[in-house]
Amino acid sequence: MENKRQNMFEFFRGFVAIAIAILVAFILILICADDPGKALECLLVKPIISNGALNAKSIFTIFARMTPIIFTGLAVCVMFSANQFNLGGEGAVMLGGFIAAVIGIYLPLGAGVHVFVAILAGAIIGGLVMIVPAVIKVKLKASEMVCSLMMNYVIMFIILHFLNNVFADRSKGATQTYPFLDTATIPKMIPNTELSWGFAIAIIATIIAAYFMHRTRWGYSIRMIGINESFSKYSGMKVGGIIVLSQVIGGMLSGMGGAIEMLGRYKTFLWLDLPGYGWTGITVAILAKNNPIMIPFAAFFISYLNRGCELMSIYAGVPAEMIDIIQAVIFLFFAAEHFLSGTRQKIVVKDAKEELQKKQLETAKEGGNA
Amino acid sequence: MFEQLINMVFSASFGYSIIRITSPILFAALAAVVAEKGGVVNIGLEGIMMISALFGVLFSYWTNSWLLGVLGAVVIGILVAMIMAVFALKLKTDIILSGIAVNLLGGGGTVFLLYLFTGLKGNTASLTTPNMLTPKIHIPLLKDIPVIGQIFSGHSVLTYVAFLLVFLVWILLYKTAMGLRIRAVGENSHAADSVGVSVLRTQYIALAISGALAGLGGAYMSMYYSQSWNIGIVAGRGFIALAAQAMGQGEPVGAMLASLLFGFASALGSKMEGMQGFSSYLVASIPYAVTIIGLVIYALSTLKRVKRFRDKAK
Repeated sequence: MENKRQNMFEFFRGFVAIAIAILVAFILILICADDPGKALECLLVKPIISNGALNAKSIFTIFARMTPIIFTGLAVCVMFSANQFNLGGEGAVMLGGFIAAVIGIYLPLGAGVHVFVAILAGAIIGGLVMIVPAVIKVKLKASEMVCSLMMNYVIMFIILHFLNNVFADRSKGATQTYPFLDTATIPKMIPNTELSWGFAIAIIATIIAAYFMHRTRWGYSIRMIGINESFSKYSGMKVGGIIVLSQVIGGMLSGMGGAIEMLGRYKTFLWLDLPGYGWTGITVAILAKNNPIMIPFAAFFISYLNRGCELMSIYAGVPAEMIDIIQAVIFLFFAAEHFLSGTRQKIVVKDAKEELQKKQLETAKEGGNA
Repeated sequence: MFEQLINMVFSASFGYSIIRITSPILFAALAAVVAEKGGVVNIGLEGIMMISALFGVLFSYWTNSWLLGVLGAVVIGILVAMIMAVFALKLKTDIILSGIAVNLLGGGGTVFLLYLFTGLKGNTASLTTPNMLTPKIHIPLLKDIPVIGQIFSGHSVLTYVAFLLVFLVWILLYKTAMGLRIRAVGENSHAADSVGVSVLRTQYIALAISGALAGLGGAYMSMYYSQSWNIGIVAGRGFIALAAQAMGQGEPVGAMLASLLFGFASALGSKMEGMQGFSSYLVASIPYAVTIIGLVIYALSTLKRVKRFRDKAK
């Protein structure tokens, strides 16, 4: 079991990365909070425990906020696994949410069917838009990264155009659509909380994605292309097609996430900017090391910190934007392959030495028997 | 309506706004060019511009001098680029991920930093004094020539710096030993390594130059263009610059032409917004859509060239 110690090390490394991020947060809090103790309590404890008891409502909020970032995290997992830096998740989320909202308002269908159709439409449109950067990359060798980034803005402005000029509810002060029909809203999992059945769908999506990536031919091909594209090509995989497929799946997951977030959390479409879940999804995917099954845990962690920062801004006057600094620090250290590489080197050397010793012992034994 | 549009495009003020809008993108595009030549993708330009834009305002507020503010923005730009470089080059964080992390810092992190340093939330409009803004330069003689003077005179001093830098970056890349090293490392790092060029050191330098250029772009945004810092100030210009670099075939002059194209599209958009019959939102998407189309056209032309080359070889 030579890998066991190295796995332990990977775990330890992740832990150190998170510890450094929390330490940075501590320092920032010490500098800018009036009451650092209270701020820290808000960040670390209050999301789940308040006044000495479990705070169920806050915990459900954390779960609810996990839903969209599980979807975008999974999307990034699939897309980045093929070594494609497609950053179009943002746009796909917003578009998925918008299409689901429009269907939720204007296409009366029976209960059950309506939600299903709206979410499906969100997923399909998300998948469709991702074809653009994927095909441009595969056919023309143009950067999928730049293209997907630009596409986010194009999508945002087109949505804002339709929202303002076609679908706006003029009776309201704010820019928003008419409310969704009742049949289109995703019912709450627990009444009077933010938590909807969308969370359950996210968990199911995680299981399907994990199965897809690690137990099917397609998933294997996607991961293989990410590891070595030339090898995959020469061993007969249709590299171009599989890259497009991986991006479309990523887009569908993002679009579905947007649709579920929209119909599960809101009553009307009111996003006036890119929602940011696409970027958070990248952090989540990095924390999960591109392993779908770990996505919900990573999402929980980010969601927890997010909630903590939110409480901190309410009760201790520290701006909630601190979450971005924490995320950036985790991001940098977590993805750093050579972070603590000296220690890893030592472990590898130690493992090798032990193995060698064992082998020598065995040969000595065999020699003795002969 | 179209007559009105054509009249507008051929007016001197339209030319003036193209140059005004192009400048920040040009700074960032040059930053992208230098990094890319050294073989590193600097996707963190957006974040560096945001952070530099903030510190430009803060430094000029603290020192009451726009020049020190601009210098501060440049230093901060280099600093952030160096943080990125340490993670990407030394600790082997993927360069694209390091860039995304810098963008995260630039997005929400700046709001936090602003609060940390000043107690302000969201924007610095209340700090701005005339001393803090980079001055406009009226070029003698040129300013008196009709039309041309109106287009080319009266810009921020940084605008002239930006266009001068196109030339300077070209000199740096093609006429200096450092430039040769940067290009060699970007072209084939192993080959460069084998003849004794320190790949890491060269890439650090390329990223530092890239950070300085992006810092100037940030300073231009907060200390001239918007006249103060706010959260939406950079609005994807760092990303557009990456596209300009790609469209400009990675060359300084090409990047300038591509930046001017975006400047044109943006200027057209902002003029059309006021007109009847155009949706301001659709118009706002033009520069981004133009980028994608430009990228496709450029990629197509490259493919054709490669194909022609191959046919010849046969």
